[in-house]
Amino acid sequence: MEKGHIVKSFDAELAHLSELITRMGELAVVQIDGSIRALVRRDTALARKVVEDDAEIDAIESEVDRFALHLMALRQPVADDLRHALAALKIAPDIERIGDYAKNIAKRAIALDQAPIATPVVTIPRMAQMVRDMVIDVMRAFAGNDVAAAREVWERDVEIDETYDAIFRELLTHMMEDPRRITPCTHLLFIAKNIERIGDLATNIAERIHFQVTGELIGEERPKLDQASVMVVEPHEAGAGSG
Amino acid sequence: MQTAQVHDVHAVLRTLDNLIAEMGGLAEAQLAAAITAVVRRDAVLAAEIVQRDKQIDRLELKINQQVMRIAGAARKDRADLRACIVATKIAGQLERIGDYATNLARRTEALRQAPAVPASHSISRMGELVQAMIQNVLDAYVARDAAKAADVRARDVEVDRLHSSLFRELLTYMMEDPRYITPCTHLLFVAKNIERIGDHVTNIAEGVYFLVHGAKPAEGRSKGDATSLTVFPAGAAE
Repeated sequence: MEKGHIVKSFDAELAHLSELITRMGELAVVQIDGSIRALVRRDTALARKVVEDDAEIDAIESEVDRFALHLMALRQPVADDLRHALAALKIAPDIERIGDYAKNIAKRAIALDQAPIATPVVTIPRMAQMVRDMVIDVMRAFAGNDVAAAREVWERDVEIDETYDAIFRELLTHMMEDPRRITPCTHLLFIAKNIERIGDLATNIAERIHFQVTGELIGEERPKLDQASVMVVEPHEAGAGSG
Repeated sequence: MQTAQVHDVHAVLRTLDNLIAEMGGLAEAQLAAAITAVVRRDAVLAAEIVQRDKQIDRLELKINQQVMRIAGAARKDRADLRACIVATKIAGQLERIGDYATNLARRTEALRQAPAVPASHSISRMGELVQAMIQNVLDAYVARDAAKAADVRARDVEVDRLHSSLFRELLTYMMEDPRYITPCTHLLFVAKNIERIGDHVTNIAEGVYFLVHGAKPAEGRSKGDATSLTVFPAGAAE
């Protein structure tokens, strides 16, 4: 054992774990923004950068794992601290998934750049804006152990689902109007789905924060239900003018 | 929350293994049932699947409680902790698999109302492959068999290949007849969900490898899924 090595307080170590998670969250937001900007501006170079930068988030996730293991190994933490470490362990993969979704959006943006015809990206950027705000706010709730803020994010997921439903319908209508749009619209559908999933993950994180702080589940069933997964759009709805 | 003192860490670890095996079996059954519901357009079965998802969630909570007991124990070694961390990660992956199975089952209702798409065979095949992978990765976990886990991981390429081919098949139907657009879109998401389950199985396989060797598998996972890069479409768009 090195003599001069002063063992940091458990609090300081937990704080370091939180910093790692916070850093992951910040990177994830940068990635979401980058992927959507690449999509809207048809900027392939930016999209490629987003794809490459995802590795950074993955690297921090591995560090979180190592650090949490170290933390649990060194001492005998009490229940509250354990819950905190465990929450970090569970939140890290959620953020890592958010990064993956941003990366996937960027990949699809590249594919869309090469599509023969441009397709309007409809309400996608607005939905992305809502979701990145959720990520920012849930990370803030995490940093402050703020249950009320976490719950507020949790409740916002409903709006995301509604916006997603509208986009779903809109894109199916585009496809029915012009078969050449089927492929690009499919990519846009998956992009919208990815954004919706990011909203779900932010909601997951909110649930974990709630559990970490209170030791209890956030309560009633998640106010879920996107209608898109049960939605049927008929071709005649698409051809409104043309009969 | 009270963490009662643990005297026999290994007994708790065995409980943990049993819970994971139970959770995995449930996730596998949910996937199998979800594929059946989608292919047979069986709304009653789909509703049952959605209901049952809560059981998987409850098992994850139970697993995390056991993990906290071990992490809080006075006497534990690094290997025990590694087992704990892997268990909690695997439980997280299985919970996701359950979610995906539920999500795909929920599409049954929309599929029932739309014309039937002749893609059942491809979907069933993809589902069966992933289902076998879940079973095998759980066996690998219980037996702490890294070679078996590596074998499961290698099979994910086949899942991605089937997914890419199903993706193209569905796009072709959509281009042929606009009435297929709605059901095929739902099936695109069904296919994507199955493919994602394959990814989670791969993550579990990596967890088993880590459990045995204390390190992640060296080489990166090969990514056979190119659907997000599909620009398409030779001829089909004309």
